[in-house]
Amino acid sequence: MMHFKFITVIARQEWASIFRSKIPLALFSVLLVVSLLATFTGWQYVSKFNHQQRAAHQQVHDQWMSQPNRHPHRVAHYGYLVFREKSALSFFDFGLDSYVGNSVFLEAHRQNTVNMSEAGFSNGMLRFGELSMAMVLQLLVPLFIIFIGFQTVASLKQNGVLKILLCQRASYLDILIGKTAGLTAVGWTLFLPLLLLSLITGNLLTGQVAAETLLRIVMLTILYALYFLIIVILVVAVSAVSKSSKNALMSLVLIWMLFFIVIPKSAQTLGSSLHQAPDKIAFEQTIEQDVSKQGDSHNPDDPYFANLKANTLKKYGVDSISKLPVNYGALVMQEGENISSDIFNRHFDHLISIYRSQNAVCSILAFADPYLAIRNISMNLSGTDFESFTAFQKQTEKYRFEKTKKLNEIHLTQIKYQNDNQQKVSAKNWQQQPDFAFQPLPVAENLSAGSFSLAALVLWVLAGFGVLAYVSSKREYQL
Amino acid sequence: MLKAIDLTKRYGGHTALNNLNLHVRQGEIFALLGQNGAGKTTTINLFLGFIEPTEGSASINGISVAENSQKIKEYLAYIPETVMLYPNLTGLENLEYFSLLAGFSYSKNELGKFLTTAGLQTQAFDQRLAGYSKGMRQKVGIAIAVAKRAKVLLLDEPTSGLDPKASNEFSQIIKTLAANGTAILMATHDIFRAKQVASRIGIMKEGNLQSVIDAASISANELESLYLKTV
Repeated sequence: MMHFKFITVIARQEWASIFRSKIPLALFSVLLVVSLLATFTGWQYVSKFNHQQRAAHQQVHDQWMSQPNRHPHRVAHYGYLVFREKSALSFFDFGLDSYVGNSVFLEAHRQNTVNMSEAGFSNGMLRFGELSMAMVLQLLVPLFIIFIGFQTVASLKQNGVLKILLCQRASYLDILIGKTAGLTAVGWTLFLPLLLLSLITGNLLTGQVAAETLLRIVMLTILYALYFLIIVILVVAVSAVSKSSKNALMSLVLIWMLFFIVIPKSAQTLGSSLHQAPDKIAFEQTIEQDVSKQGDSHNPDDPYFANLKANTLKKYGVDSISKLPVNYGALVMQEGENISSDIFNRHFDHLISIYRSQNAVCSILAFADPYLAIRNISMNLSGTDFESFTAFQKQTEKYRFEKTKKLNEIHLTQIKYQNDNQQKVSAKNWQQQPDFAFQPLPVAENLSAGSFSLAALVLWVLAGFGVLAYVSSKREYQL
Repeated sequence: MLKAIDLTKRYGGHTALNNLNLHVRQGEIFALLGQNGAGKTTTINLFLGFIEPTEGSASINGISVAENSQKIKEYLAYIPETVMLYPNLTGLENLEYFSLLAGFSYSKNELGKFLTTAGLQTQAFDQRLAGYSKGMRQKVGIAIAVAKRAKVLLLDEPTSGLDPKASNEFSQIIKTLAANGTAILMATHDIFRAKQVASRIGIMKEGNLQSVIDAASISANELESLYLKTV
């Protein structure tokens, strides 16, 4: 049975005892400096990156617009570089941004990919090398909680105070919940304002705080609050089952290593060995082979294109391509584009499904490791996750296909087959084409992508309270 | 007030307490004498509900400890050999905290009175416990029991390590508590102190209560002889 009155008293005492000591404040000061540094460097990097990218985009766009009147197929091969600006919260959680590209060169006939390396797609522990605010909150705050909380129950056991406490009217469950509440209050008071400050300031500095970004900030704050609660429960539970403070500290440091190094690294390895993905060269070779199998538009004897020719002649009721009312060359090119785009999309979807399966291993292991859960959902909400990157890749291919199709249509209708190479069309034709603008995934889709991690966090909280109830019911953990 | 009927505790093949039958009445101080491992602390822990009996029962005010481990907390207080409490809190703050957890909210004046009753000097009230002597901490422990209005007091080697003056003060205080109706069960090695404060004295050996003596009927020397013969 729980007594709210006693829980409040214990929580207040826990809070007061932590702030009586100078060590927690010293530790917090270090984390504060690291957090501010991480926020500032993250924001600085992202702003500089976005600024450079905007300048590059403007340059590419200007070059595109300043093309003279020319043949549309030359325009198609002139190409266009598209960019993805980093998300509004990417300064907070770099996620996969450091490992995936943010620009693609779009041209006719070729589906150029953004960085497709395995390291680029998977949620590896390579992230240890960088310093982001999310990393501080995910990896270092748990260490802080361990250091301020490892002896919270174990020391009371060691010096006999627990027995006196248990002789008052508060139950052992009251004591454990009270300790949890006190430590959680400390964690929340110190780090949630810092998290909010970092997120809001970072956004204000970029001059744009969209309503959806605010929603993401609120959700991130709630989820990090849950994460800290989970770590506190874990610390209190381990402290309660340990015979001494030293044992509690050793166990917690081991758990930290397990949760923050061993399981994430193993999840990565397990995922990639269970679901092997082709490398970039193999991926592109397979697409080329499939395209060749389907039909080679440059080979006059190719059966697929011979068939296309026959059908076109029949459709227009003529016996020669020179008599067609449209440019047959453009028709062939568009058909080749349809084929290659279709094959690319198929292979790309398959590749994505492999990487999704790899990442699913991480998502499932989030039920065994709360760090994986918060890491995944934090990336999702920061728009730096795998799905955000995939969305960019898909949007660029769609844009490339539509752009090429439009140029092929110009070629088809405005360029005569008989004098194909010598003709030009007005630059207005491509100047009127819409520019590429990456549409980030809406928050609902990000949340949906992180649903496993979300469920894992909630389950961890519930299971954590279950463990505290179990520990409190066992007499052997009271002595 | 405190009753043990055939109370037995075994750990595997080892019997820590064997068929203890004991009744400590209101206002009585019962001292359990015995060497280390005689079963004194096991008896205290069984009355506190920290361990479950293998056989028999322990009850406080007619309530079974094993069946109502939470309910019996209303009646009892416990003072261990070394009262550590919270070293960063003052005596007054420690008392306030433990009283709140016992369900009592007292004013600073009232808390001060409890500490005075327990024999703590006024100037020590606002000092951190880290600077207290062992005797002073024991007094805070007594104040916690008094503030809780405990009807039963369980003491485990309470005078161990105290200087004679502090030990004597402690004895006087618990005698006062008993005179006010508190039933006290005290485990101790200190034959002289047991003779000084207890109404009855039980001598334990290897988990068995070997004999129970009326303290008034025996001199300290006789008690010592009997104790040495028994253990």
